[in-house]
Amino acid sequence: MFKELDPLLHSQLRLAVMSLLISLEEADFVYLREKSGATAGNLSVQLEKLAQAQYIEVDKGYSGKRPRTTCRITPAGRAAFEAYVDALRSYTE
Amino acid sequence: MEEKNLSKNESLELIARMIKETRNSMERGGGNIYLLWGYLWLVVALTIYGLLLYTGDYRATWLWFAMPLVGYPVMYFMLKSKKGGVVTFVGAVISKIWIVIGVCALLLSLFMFVNHNAFPIMFIMALLINAGVAMSGLVIKFKPTIIAGFVGILLSFSLLLIPGINQILVFAAFSVIMLIIPGHILNAASRKANAAGLDPKESSSKSNKVSNV
Repeated sequence: MFKELDPLLHSQLRLAVMSLLISLEEADFVYLREKSGATAGNLSVQLEKLAQAQYIEVDKGYSGKRPRTTCRITPAGRAAFEAYVDALRSYTE
Repeated sequence: MEEKNLSKNESLELIARMIKETRNSMERGGGNIYLLWGYLWLVVALTIYGLLLYTGDYRATWLWFAMPLVGYPVMYFMLKSKKGGVVTFVGAVISKIWIVIGVCALLLSLFMFVNHNAFPIMFIMALLINAGVAMSGLVIKFKPTIIAGFVGILLSFSLLLIPGINQILVFAAFSVIMLIIPGHILNAASRKANAAGLDPKESSSKSNKVSNV
Protein backbone atom coordinates (compact mmCIF):
# COMPACT_ATOMS: atom_id res chain seq x y z
CA MET A 1 0.00 0.00 0.00
CA PHE A 2 1.36 3.39 -1.02
CA LYS A 3 1.66 6.00 1.70
CA GLU A 4 0.74 9.59 1.00
CA LEU A 5 3.66 11.96 0.46
CA ASP A 6 3.68 15.07 2.66
CA PRO A 7 2.90 17.88 0.16
CA LEU A 8 4.94 20.33 2.19
CA LEU A 9 8.08 18.24 1.68
CA HIS A 10 7.28 17.05 -1.82
CA SER A 11 8.68 20.17 -3.42
CA GLN A 12 12.20 20.58 -4.67
CA LEU A 13 13.51 23.45 -2.59
CA ARG A 14 11.76 22.60 0.67
CA LEU A 15 12.97 19.02 0.40
CA ALA A 16 16.51 20.23 -0.33
CA VAL A 17 16.47 22.46 2.76
CA MET A 18 15.12 19.69 4.98
CA SER A 19 17.69 17.23 3.59
CA LEU A 20 20.49 19.67 4.42
CA LEU A 21 19.18 20.43 7.90
CA ILE A 22 18.55 16.78 8.79
CA SER A 23 22.32 16.17 8.90
CA LEU A 24 23.33 19.38 10.65
CA GLU A 25 22.92 20.96 14.05
CA GLU A 26 22.15 24.30 12.40
CA ALA A 27 22.85 26.18 9.18
CA ASP A 28 22.57 29.81 8.20
CA PHE A 29 20.66 31.32 5.30
CA VAL A 30 23.77 31.86 3.14
CA TYR A 31 24.85 28.24 3.52
CA LEU A 32 21.38 26.97 2.58
CA ARG A 33 21.24 29.30 -0.42
CA GLU A 34 24.67 28.19 -1.68
CA LYS A 35 24.02 24.49 -1.23
CA SER A 36 20.49 24.50 -2.65
CA GLY A 37 21.30 26.90 -5.50
CA ALA A 38 18.06 28.80 -4.79
CA THR A 39 17.50 32.54 -5.07
CA ALA A 40 17.32 34.46 -1.79
CA GLY A 41 13.69 35.42 -2.36
CA ASN A 42 12.49 31.93 -3.13
CA LEU A 43 14.46 30.47 -0.22
CA SER A 44 12.94 33.01 2.19
CA VAL A 45 9.43 32.07 1.11
CA GLN A 46 10.05 28.34 1.44
CA LEU A 47 11.75 28.73 4.84
CA GLU A 48 8.73 30.66 6.02
CA LYS A 49 6.42 27.82 4.93
CA LEU A 50 8.57 25.24 6.73
CA ALA A 51 8.69 27.43 9.84
CA GLN A 52 4.90 27.90 9.80
CA ALA A 53 4.49 24.13 9.74
CA GLN A 54 6.95 24.02 12.68
CA TYR A 55 9.28 21.77 10.70
CA ILE A 56 12.15 24.20 11.28
CA GLU A 57 13.08 26.95 13.73
CA VAL A 58 14.37 30.20 12.31
CA ASP A 59 16.43 32.56 14.46
CA LYS A 60 17.15 36.02 13.20
CA GLY A 61 20.20 37.45 14.90
CA TYR A 62 23.50 39.11 14.20
CA SER A 63 27.03 37.87 13.49
CA GLY A 64 29.05 40.91 14.52
CA LYS A 65 27.20 43.77 12.82
CA ARG A 66 25.79 41.68 10.00
CA PRO A 67 22.32 40.14 10.21
CA ARG A 68 22.35 36.37 10.27
CA THR A 69 19.41 34.00 9.91
CA THR A 70 19.98 30.56 11.39
CA CYS A 71 17.78 27.52 10.77
CA ARG A 72 17.53 24.22 12.54
CA ILE A 73 15.20 21.27 12.16
CA THR A 74 12.63 20.63 14.92
CA PRO A 75 11.61 17.20 16.28
CA ALA A 76 8.35 17.58 14.30
CA GLY A 77 10.36 18.31 11.16
CA ARG A 78 12.60 15.33 11.73
CA ALA A 79 9.55 13.07 12.20
CA ALA A 80 7.93 14.48 9.04
CA PHE A 81 11.13 13.95 7.06
CA GLU A 82 11.42 10.35 8.26
CA ALA A 83 7.76 9.72 7.40
CA TYR A 84 8.37 11.22 3.95
CA VAL A 85 11.35 8.92 3.33
CA ASP A 86 9.29 5.93 4.54
CA ALA A 87 6.52 6.90 2.14
CA LEU A 88 9.00 7.18 -0.72
CA ARG A 89 10.26 3.70 0.12
CA SER A 90 6.76 2.30 -0.16
CA TYR A 91 6.72 3.49 -3.80
CA THR A 92 10.12 2.14 -4.71
CA GLU A 93 9.92 -1.28 -3.02
CA MET B 1 16.68 25.80 -7.81
CA GLU B 2 13.19 26.22 -9.19
CA GLU B 3 10.05 25.31 -7.34
CA LYS B 4 8.62 22.21 -8.94
CA ASN B 5 7.08 18.93 -8.02
CA LEU B 6 9.29 15.92 -8.01
CA SER B 7 9.07 12.35 -9.11
CA LYS B 8 9.81 9.74 -6.43
CA ASN B 9 13.24 9.02 -7.87
CA GLU B 10 14.09 12.71 -8.12
CA SER B 11 13.17 13.09 -4.46
CA LEU B 12 15.48 10.30 -3.42
CA GLU B 13 18.28 11.63 -5.59
CA LEU B 14 17.84 15.15 -4.15
CA ILE B 15 17.91 13.89 -0.56
CA ALA B 16 21.07 11.87 -1.21
CA ARG B 17 22.77 14.81 -2.96
CA MET B 18 21.98 17.32 -0.21
CA ILE B 19 23.07 15.00 2.58
CA LYS B 20 26.34 14.46 0.69
CA GLU B 21 26.79 18.25 0.45
CA THR B 22 26.77 18.56 4.24
CA ARG B 23 29.63 16.09 4.46
CA ASN B 24 31.87 18.57 2.67
CA SER B 25 31.30 21.21 5.32
CA MET B 26 34.64 21.06 7.04
CA GLU B 27 35.43 24.41 8.51
CA ARG B 28 38.53 26.28 7.42
CA GLY B 29 41.02 26.83 10.27
CA GLY B 30 39.49 24.12 12.46
CA GLY B 31 42.81 23.81 14.30
CA ASN B 32 42.88 27.44 15.47
CA ILE B 33 41.11 26.66 18.73
CA TYR B 34 43.74 24.00 19.49
CA LEU B 35 46.48 26.55 18.71
CA LEU B 36 44.89 29.22 20.91
CA TRP B 37 44.76 26.95 23.95
CA GLY B 38 48.11 25.29 23.13
CA TYR B 39 50.14 28.50 22.91
CA LEU B 40 48.32 30.09 25.84
CA TRP B 41 49.02 27.02 27.96
CA LEU B 42 52.69 27.01 26.91
CA VAL B 43 53.23 30.70 27.68
CA VAL B 44 51.41 30.56 31.04
CA ALA B 45 53.20 27.37 32.15
CA LEU B 46 56.65 28.67 31.26
CA THR B 47 55.92 32.03 32.93
CA ILE B 48 54.83 30.28 36.14
CA TYR B 49 57.89 28.04 36.02
CA GLY B 50 60.18 31.05 35.56
CA LEU B 51 58.53 33.01 38.37
CA LEU B 52 58.66 30.06 40.78
CA LEU B 53 62.28 29.41 39.89
CA TYR B 54 63.45 33.00 40.39
CA THR B 55 61.13 34.27 43.12
CA GLY B 56 59.94 31.11 44.88
CA ASP B 57 56.61 32.85 45.50
CA TYR B 58 53.85 30.23 45.29
CA ARG B 59 51.35 32.93 44.32
CA ALA B 60 52.80 32.67 40.82
CA THR B 61 50.57 29.58 40.42
CA TRP B 62 47.52 31.88 40.50
CA LEU B 63 48.53 32.74 36.95
CA TRP B 64 46.84 29.49 35.86
CA PHE B 65 43.61 31.44 36.09
CA ALA B 66 44.91 33.63 33.26
CA MET B 67 44.15 30.68 30.96
CA PRO B 68 40.33 30.74 31.26
CA LEU B 69 40.31 34.53 31.69
CA VAL B 70 42.18 35.06 28.42
CA GLY B 71 41.27 31.86 26.57
CA TYR B 72 37.48 31.90 26.82
CA PRO B 73 36.93 35.50 25.63
CA VAL B 74 39.35 34.99 22.72
CA MET B 75 37.70 31.67 21.83
CA TYR B 76 34.26 33.30 21.99
CA PHE B 77 35.46 36.04 19.63
CA MET B 78 37.02 33.50 17.25
CA LEU B 79 33.86 31.37 17.10
CA LYS B 80 31.64 34.40 16.65
CA SER B 81 33.66 35.86 13.79
CA LYS B 82 34.03 32.50 12.06
CA LYS B 83 32.48 32.22 8.61
CA GLY B 84 31.00 29.00 7.33
CA GLY B 85 27.36 29.26 8.27
CA VAL B 86 26.99 25.76 9.54
CA VAL B 87 27.29 23.84 12.79
CA THR B 88 27.69 20.11 12.28
CA PHE B 89 26.67 17.51 14.86
CA VAL B 90 30.35 16.66 15.26
CA GLY B 91 31.20 20.30 16.01
CA ALA B 92 28.39 20.47 18.55
CA VAL B 93 29.54 17.25 20.27
CA ILE B 94 33.11 18.54 20.56
CA SER B 95 31.92 21.84 22.03
CA LYS B 96 29.96 19.96 24.67
CA ILE B 97 32.93 17.73 25.54
CA TRP B 98 35.08 20.82 26.16
CA ILE B 99 32.37 22.62 28.15
CA VAL B 100 32.25 19.65 30.56
CA ILE B 101 36.04 19.48 30.76
CA GLY B 102 36.27 23.25 31.28
CA VAL B 103 33.78 23.12 34.17
CA CYS B 104 35.66 20.20 35.80
CA ALA B 105 39.01 21.98 35.37
CA LEU B 106 37.65 25.17 36.91
CA LEU B 107 36.18 23.35 39.93
CA LEU B 108 39.41 21.40 40.46
CA SER B 109 41.40 24.66 40.33
CA LEU B 110 39.07 26.42 42.74
CA PHE B 111 39.25 23.52 45.19
CA MET B 112 42.98 24.17 45.45
CA PHE B 113 42.06 27.29 47.48
CA VAL B 114 40.25 25.02 49.98
CA ASN B 115 42.98 22.39 50.26
CA HIS B 116 45.99 22.59 48.01
CA ASN B 117 47.16 19.10 49.02
CA ALA B 118 43.84 17.39 48.34
CA PHE B 119 45.00 15.77 45.07
CA PRO B 120 47.91 15.96 42.59
CA ILE B 121 46.45 18.82 40.57
CA MET B 122 48.97 18.67 37.69
CA PHE B 123 48.31 14.98 37.13
CA ILE B 124 44.51 15.31 37.35
CA MET B 125 44.47 18.32 35.00
CA ALA B 126 46.76 16.66 32.46
CA LEU B 127 44.68 13.46 32.53
CA LEU B 128 41.44 15.41 32.14
CA ILE B 129 42.64 17.56 29.24
CA ASN B 130 44.36 14.65 27.49
CA ALA B 131 41.13 12.66 27.76
CA GLY B 132 39.36 15.59 26.09
CA VAL B 133 41.93 15.68 23.28
CA ALA B 134 41.60 11.92 22.72
CA MET B 135 37.78 12.10 22.70
CA SER B 136 37.81 15.03 20.26
CA GLY B 137 40.23 13.14 18.01
CA LEU B 138 38.02 10.05 18.02
CA VAL B 139 34.92 12.12 17.23
CA ILE B 140 36.51 13.92 14.27
CA LYS B 141 38.44 10.77 13.26
CA PHE B 142 41.69 12.72 13.05
CA LYS B 143 44.64 10.44 13.65
CA PRO B 144 47.21 12.99 14.95
CA THR B 145 44.78 14.17 17.63
CA ILE B 146 43.85 10.61 18.62
CA ILE B 147 47.52 9.67 18.96
CA ALA B 148 48.36 12.91 20.80
CA GLY B 149 45.48 12.34 23.23
CA PHE B 150 46.38 8.78 24.11
CA VAL B 151 50.12 9.50 24.30
CA GLY B 152 49.21 12.41 26.58
CA ILE B 153 47.04 10.17 28.79
CA LEU B 154 49.97 7.80 29.17
CA LEU B 155 52.49 10.60 29.81
CA SER B 156 50.18 12.20 32.40
CA PHE B 157 51.21 9.49 34.83
CA SER B 158 54.80 10.72 34.65
CA LEU B 159 53.61 13.75 36.63
CA LEU B 160 53.11 11.42 39.61
CA LEU B 161 56.80 10.52 39.47
CA ILE B 162 58.36 13.92 38.83
CA PRO B 163 58.97 16.06 41.93
CA GLY B 164 58.51 19.78 42.49
CA ILE B 165 58.31 22.51 39.92
CA ASN B 166 59.77 20.33 37.18
CA GLN B 167 56.20 19.03 36.82
CA ILE B 168 55.38 22.38 35.26
CA LEU B 169 57.95 21.88 32.51
CA VAL B 170 56.43 18.49 31.63
CA PHE B 171 52.98 20.09 31.80
CA ALA B 172 54.18 22.78 29.36
CA ALA B 173 55.51 20.09 27.00
CA PHE B 174 52.02 18.54 26.95
CA SER B 175 50.67 21.68 25.29
CA VAL B 176 53.04 21.13 22.37
CA ILE B 177 52.28 17.42 21.99
CA MET B 178 48.52 17.58 22.54
CA LEU B 179 47.45 20.89 21.08
CA ILE B 180 50.07 22.80 19.09
CA ILE B 181 51.28 20.00 16.79
CA PRO B 182 47.78 18.52 16.11
CA GLY B 183 46.44 22.08 15.64
CA HIS B 184 48.96 22.87 12.92
CA ILE B 185 48.40 19.48 11.23
CA LEU B 186 44.61 19.98 11.36
CA ASN B 187 44.88 23.43 9.78
CA ALA B 188 47.19 22.12 7.06
CA ALA B 189 44.74 19.29 6.27
CA SER B 190 41.83 21.75 6.29
CA ARG B 191 43.63 24.16 3.93
CA LYS B 192 44.51 21.32 1.57
CA ALA B 193 40.95 19.98 1.54
CA ASN B 194 39.36 23.38 1.02
CA ALA B 195 41.82 24.35 -1.72
CA ALA B 196 41.04 21.15 -3.58
CA GLY B 197 37.31 21.57 -2.96
CA LEU B 198 37.15 17.97 -1.89
CA ASP B 199 35.62 16.06 0.92
CA PRO B 200 38.37 16.28 3.54
CA LYS B 201 37.92 12.59 4.31
CA GLU B 202 38.70 11.71 0.72
CA SER B 203 41.49 14.24 0.26
CA SER B 204 43.40 13.11 3.30
CA SER B 205 42.60 9.42 3.24
CA LYS B 206 46.17 8.47 2.53
CA SER B 207 47.57 10.19 5.59
CA ASN B 208 45.06 11.55 8.07
CA LYS B 209 41.31 11.36 8.12
CA VAL B 210 39.36 14.46 9.03
CA SER B 211 35.61 14.55 9.24
CA ASN B 212 33.30 17.54 9.73
CA VAL B 213 34.47 19.71 12.58
